[in-house]
Amino acid sequence: MLELDNLQKTFHPGTPNEVRALQGVSLTLDPGSFLIIIGTNGSGKSTLLNAVAGTFFVDTGKIHLAGHNITRWAEHQRARLIGRVFQNPFSGTAPSMSIAENMALAARRGRPRGFGWALNQRLREELRERVRSLNMGLEGRLDNAIGSLSGGQRQALTLLMASWLKPELLLLDEHTAALDPKSADQVIRLSHEIIQRDKLTTLMVTHSMQQAVHLGDRLIMMHQGRILSDLRGADKARAQPDDLLRRFEEIRQRDRFSPSVAELLQRAYV
Amino acid sequence: MTLFLGALTIGLILALLALGVYLSFRIFNFPDITAEGSITLGAAIAATLLVRGYGPVTATAAGFAGGVAAGAVTGILHTKCRINGLLSGILVMTALYSINLHVMSKSNVPLLNETTLATQAEKIGAAVFGGTADLNVFGWEVGVRDASMLLAVFTLISVLGVALYLFFRTNLGTAIRATGDNPQMIRAQGVSVDFILILGLGLSNGLIALGGAVLAQYQGFADVQMGIGMVVWGLASVIIGEALVGSTSVGLLITGAVMGSVLFRLLVAIALRWGLNPNDLKLITALFVFAALVGPQLLQRLTARRPVITSNPA
Repeated sequence: MLELDNLQKTFHPGTPNEVRALQGVSLTLDPGSFLIIIGTNGSGKSTLLNAVAGTFFVDTGKIHLAGHNITRWAEHQRARLIGRVFQNPFSGTAPSMSIAENMALAARRGRPRGFGWALNQRLREELRERVRSLNMGLEGRLDNAIGSLSGGQRQALTLLMASWLKPELLLLDEHTAALDPKSADQVIRLSHEIIQRDKLTTLMVTHSMQQAVHLGDRLIMMHQGRILSDLRGADKARAQPDDLLRRFEEIRQRDRFSPSVAELLQRAYV
Repeated sequence: MTLFLGALTIGLILALLALGVYLSFRIFNFPDITAEGSITLGAAIAATLLVRGYGPVTATAAGFAGGVAAGAVTGILHTKCRINGLLSGILVMTALYSINLHVMSKSNVPLLNETTLATQAEKIGAAVFGGTADLNVFGWEVGVRDASMLLAVFTLISVLGVALYLFFRTNLGTAIRATGDNPQMIRAQGVSVDFILILGLGLSNGLIALGGAVLAQYQGFADVQMGIGMVVWGLASVIIGEALVGSTSVGLLITGAVMGSVLFRLLVAIALRWGLNPNDLKLITALFVFAALVGPQLLQRLTARRPVITSNPA
């Protein structure tokens, strides 16, 4: 269970570059829930994900995950509870190390690392099976450097690594945005499979309206550091790409007015 | 022949320096200048303890520990105090100059009659080869003293090289390698990048200080100036090693660093023999590293068929 309570974050406060990235985001996510986050550019959706992952500390607000108050936990401490796939396919794996070594590192996510062998026969067999399940033919290349693989293959492996030790929360940050359509499709299908199978609580940021309507059981739309709408259950299931696009168009039009005028109009006419 | 064996021996001892530099510069991509101070620190601690009557193993281990501490301080300055990596190393290196003088209480500590690792190696060698002063190896007359020293150092480096290789295959060792490769990735796997960097720089400087401790016992003195230029020296060894093995596998790179160190020392010995002014040695070393760094780029630019327009950001 993930609970976000009034998260606020301002970057470069007091300078001309001041960005109020999160302006009070509250959210409660049930265990096993799969939440899709969409939003305009600069709406704070990636910032929200990074705030949960611990890339930075929020200015105010609290983050609870699986019964822990993780608001002040460092990024590597939160990794004990959180599995993560980045937008950049190169971010999630160590390029000069082999597939097997990368997987072995993920097999100890958040656990102490001592002088035991990183790879033993049992672990090798286990990870060979998991890599085989990708159907990418990588199980025969376990000792190849990950840097020699394509972005799609690396992203699929990152997903496997993030979900190896079933995390309390899986974070997917536009993890198919940098892939070609075919690989993106493959990675999305894989994500869906893993999340379903392991019933993982998931936060996924995406730009794709297709993904937003087809995946997940809940959808939030963000704008200017706030949650604008929150669709669940039947509403989420009914949502079509056109509806979401129309919603974005509304936001865009409303932004043409100054915030105060918009508020006035909204109160008068809506 | 004595000259040749001497060059081999020093090359092997300085392989510890090369391994330390490989760890910081190559694995962590961290330009760690602390090495210039920590190699002297290792020598200073070992020599001082030997003069005070401690056993050679204790003295050498203490030298190693001193290096670990120095490297850890550099790591802490960089990670916890957020000081630029290069500057962290410079600060610690500069501080170590005074510390080394304090440890030795003078600028040079000679080891004349102390029992050192070197005298012990000689003693074992004399017992193994019998009482003779010279050995016949493939038709060469070789002093038992030089030969046993070389064998002892070779054994030490082999054991340490294998140990380092095995260490890099443990859970902790792979985490260290991954930290240098992709910090974001290893953080997402729950590893504190700060801690690993402090640990790794400690290990790197520990190895370098160990090299200093052994070198002092081999050459029979510790000197406060002995660290000058050592980073570039180690880097040259690593670069030669990489060229020799031409691979990115850890085992081969460790072997390469050792071979590079020995080869570089041999080249230097030959150059000196041919009349190279010893004063020019550091200049030549720096030029060599410069050439090794710039050469590949230059070659690439020259062999490129058409000039590529690089000013277009799109």
